[in-house]
Amino acid sequence: MTLAYEQLPVAAAPQTRRAALALARPRRLALAAAAALVVGTAAGLAVPAILGHIVDLVTDRRGVAELTGPAILLLAAAVVQGVLTAVGQALVARLGEGALAELRERVVERVLMLPLQRIERAGSGDLVARVSDDVAEIAEAVRQALPRMASSALIVGLTLVGLAALDWRLALAGLVAVPIQAHTLRWYLRHSAPVYAAERRAAAARAQQLLDSVSGAGSVRAFGLAPDHIARVERRSLDALALTMRAVNLITRFFARLNAAELLGVAAILSTGFVLVRSGQITVGQATAAALYFIRLFDPINILLALVDDAQRAGASLSRLVGVTAMDPPDEPPAPPRPADASVVLQDVRHAYVSGYDVLDGIDLEIRPGERIALIGVSGAGKTTLARVVAGIQRPTAGRVLLGGVELAQLGRAATARSVGLVSQEVHVFAGTLADDLRMARSSAGDDELAAALERVGALEWVRALPDGLATAVGDGGQRLTAQRAQQLALARIVLADHPIVILDEATAESGSTGARALEAAAAAALEGRTALVVAHRLTQAAAADRVVVMESGRIVEQGTHADLVTADGPYAALWSAWSDGRNA
Amino acid sequence: MSPGALRIAHGGVLRGAIWGQRRRVAIGSALLIAHQAGEAMVPVIVGATIDRAIVTGDAGALGVWLGVLAVTFAVLSVSYRFGDRFVERASQTAAHDLRLALTRRILHPRGGAAEGRPSGGLLSIATSDASRVGEVNVVIGVGASAVAGITVAAAALLQISLVLGALVLVGLPPLLVLIHLLGRPLVRRAASEQAEAAGATGVAADLIAGLRVLKGIGAESAAIERYRDSSRRSLAATLRAAGAEATVAGVGILLTGAFLALVALIGGRLVADGRIELGEFIAAVGLTGFLTGPLSLSSYVVLDLARGRASAGRVAGLLDSPVAVTGGTRAPSPPPAGAVALRDVRHRGLDGLNLEISAGEHAAIVATDAADGAALVELLARAADPQAGSVQLDGVAYTELDPDLLRAVVRVSAHDAELFDGSLSDNLRAAAPGERVDAALVAADVADVVAALPGGLDATLGERGRSLSGGQRQRVALARALAADAAVLVLHDPTTAVDAVTEARIAARVRDLRAGQTTIVVTSSPALLAAADRVVLLAGGRAGATGSHMQLMHRDAHYRAAVLA
Repeated sequence: MTLAYEQLPVAAAPQTRRAALALARPRRLALAAAAALVVGTAAGLAVPAILGHIVDLVTDRRGVAELTGPAILLLAAAVVQGVLTAVGQALVARLGEGALAELRERVVERVLMLPLQRIERAGSGDLVARVSDDVAEIAEAVRQALPRMASSALIVGLTLVGLAALDWRLALAGLVAVPIQAHTLRWYLRHSAPVYAAERRAAAARAQQLLDSVSGAGSVRAFGLAPDHIARVERRSLDALALTMRAVNLITRFFARLNAAELLGVAAILSTGFVLVRSGQITVGQATAAALYFIRLFDPINILLALVDDAQRAGASLSRLVGVTAMDPPDEPPAPPRPADASVVLQDVRHAYVSGYDVLDGIDLEIRPGERIALIGVSGAGKTTLARVVAGIQRPTAGRVLLGGVELAQLGRAATARSVGLVSQEVHVFAGTLADDLRMARSSAGDDELAAALERVGALEWVRALPDGLATAVGDGGQRLTAQRAQQLALARIVLADHPIVILDEATAESGSTGARALEAAAAAALEGRTALVVAHRLTQAAAADRVVVMESGRIVEQGTHADLVTADGPYAALWSAWSDGRNA
Repeated sequence: MSPGALRIAHGGVLRGAIWGQRRRVAIGSALLIAHQAGEAMVPVIVGATIDRAIVTGDAGALGVWLGVLAVTFAVLSVSYRFGDRFVERASQTAAHDLRLALTRRILHPRGGAAEGRPSGGLLSIATSDASRVGEVNVVIGVGASAVAGITVAAAALLQISLVLGALVLVGLPPLLVLIHLLGRPLVRRAASEQAEAAGATGVAADLIAGLRVLKGIGAESAAIERYRDSSRRSLAATLRAAGAEATVAGVGILLTGAFLALVALIGGRLVADGRIELGEFIAAVGLTGFLTGPLSLSSYVVLDLARGRASAGRVAGLLDSPVAVTGGTRAPSPPPAGAVALRDVRHRGLDGLNLEISAGEHAAIVATDAADGAALVELLARAADPQAGSVQLDGVAYTELDPDLLRAVVRVSAHDAELFDGSLSDNLRAAAPGERVDAALVAADVADVVAALPGGLDATLGERGRSLSGGQRQRVALARALAADAAVLVLHDPTTAVDAVTEARIAARVRDLRAGQTTIVVTSSPALLAAADRVVLLAGGRAGATGSHMQLMHRDAHYRAAVLA
């Protein structure tokens, strides 16, 4: 099935700015941080001035005793600068990290509440990139770029004030470097964005190729594909190397150009100092202070200019996150009516992913409370879509779905999720302890309840045999579970969540035939006492169901008990004979 | 290739990464040294300009010293620009070479490197660890230039005044070591807390990876709660780390500032006493400020070298991992007949297995214990050699044959056979340049998959075929195995996610397509079993009842139990 691809929104610049400002709202914290940094930086900038004063004292041949006072001032400046820098940095971190945490929580919350349909249209790659890469990009900016930019900008700004305080002409001389710096920055930004973007893409492609080859090492060997795969990795790795070197060339040219600005600035200050000292308008000490000031500016200016790029990148990431938080949350009815029982009714349900191609073509079906229905049909018949419609995950294009007499639309997402549970072929074990994984279904469940649920699906024995039992780390970074065990956990979650209606969509496939039988037993135990819709290609599940529903091209073509349908001369009888050929001795 | 040839001397990884790039590293380091020396000269020249030109009012001297300044800047700028490029290229090239060596090792026909390691871990060794080893080349250049900067500044200081020079050179390094030591426990704590801080990202990615599962059971609120918890824990850890780092930075500023005050006091007295000149005083103060740069750089150099060494250890560990199958360089006799035999084989659960598959036979194996079936497939693929006994192709032991040449004759398609990024056609033709592809597509019933994909055979499958459903993936993998047209084909549970009608169709077509060629199917699916000439029941690690599917269904209760649900 081809779906229209639709990216998640990205916020516009003004919206992003407003959101960033709103996040930095603890005003008193922001003010305190700013005050600490300003005073600390000013104390640091007093140093060249005091040194200049020492130069004047010795040039005037004043007594050695007079040097003690300035030396103590230097010490005091160091203390003030050191203490306030520490305080300021810590405050900036509190401000930035706090805002970041709030932002990432809002993003993840909104993402998790989005309808699955919407997420599938966007592709989950985009989402993962937003919650991991974009958040990391901003975190990096908050941790590294933000404090360094803040202090560099303060040093540059206050130094200009310092130069002007010595003599306005000295400040003017220092500004000679500005046009070169501005031009260099513009040149750099114009070239850096595409180069860095290409570099990141190449690195991602390299990682993907490595993962593809490495995780498929078994198949690579079995089919003798190693030379081809090594060549693929080499190509990707060389591509990435070439782009990294382009980025290196760019940044080295950037700093080399800034050297020219430094030279021009120092020469201008020394020349201006020369003229002003010769005409007696400033002292040698003042000229010295000015030169020292300017030399000390080299690093902060370079940092500031180099970080503009990081700031732009973080800005782009921020707008992608704000774009998500600004999406409308799905409507939730304030007080949804309670379903009367565990019945399911579908009335003329139709669905098309692409208009004109109906995947569901007028489905009418009534399922009694506690009834177990097996949904059968060849692939492409629309079974999975029907399962998703009943689970409330896919909104049908037309028709009504009622759970316990209440229409899905009136029930809202939260109440629907309480009524229906869906386990599909897709397995996922959540990273954390095994108990954490199960508690996703019911956070209040005690260890004995977890054990009872595991017992019911036949998993307790192997869970007990794990190194730390329920406390064993599973999922990504933990103990790897076979597909069969992972799916048993999924069934145990269904038991814990205790949904009155449960849908299993090929939940027992893909684990080998012997495994499938064990899972079927687990599924049967988990479904006991619930209304169940079981999509299955193993017809043993059909034989065990109260009623079999056969689908073909989006329609229900046959339904009845297994015994009735086998003797009728319909599609189910054909399926059954193919299935049981070779099963009957 | 003998197994010994795979081994790389441990510790040789780091040395090899540097030695292989020695020319670039040498040239780059020389240029970076020139850059750092130039940077050290800037405060000296500024001091001289004030002393010789501004104090005296000599315009000619001003011109001369500004000229010297310009030349110095030109040298330091050009040498930085090219020096950095040389060491960066050395770093990137060394990392690239390691990455390829690692890929070769992981994909080596004798295996043994990737097994039991998660793909993510392998990926991180081939990307971040390889990069970190390569970066040692940059570290060498930076370290050499730092040493040069310190040397030049020290020489200049001692030239100015023995007392002042000695004070700075004896006082500053211990001071920086002190700052480093004071900060070390804090920084170490910060590092471990950064690791916890990264946790929130992992949780978010994990929740999104499991989003469908999560939505299926309506666990959104539980997931949000879990993420908020980990985000808050991350925040607390990050703030503790940031506080520690801020304290270290503050202490550093305070101590170096205090030291500068001392230098200014003593230097000022020396000028007042007429022991040194004014310009020398200015240069000394400037040099003190300059020196903190290369000196603190040295502590980063030490840290980066340690990280590079640790990464090199991980790289070497992977490169050195022992091979899974040793021995065998012969090619199978051409043309292969395709007879496969297992004699007294012990391996995992297999306990004295004897099995004889004649050339051209269509055989099926049913294992009462799924693990025994997997062990058998592992041996047939020569992913492992048996503990005892032997596996033979046309009467020659597997262990005498070259693994790659053997696999060209015996193709094994595992149950979880991975598809690769690329088009459907790329995947199918990967091991099959021949004309079997169309016939294989029909036999594996892939026509509907091709029809449903935009672009048909040229459609891109994306990461490991994720764009296909489980059943579709299985059928494409089967088609790939059939297209390979091997003398012996081993299929392990090839149709578990396929519906009954399709499965029966596939079973018949596979049988027809493979007529006259040896085919071994390890399965418990009745449709596939019924299509086989002969079925062998594998029970208790040995070959048990043998016969056609129908015969065994009639006469063997164990068999019925293993096959019927």
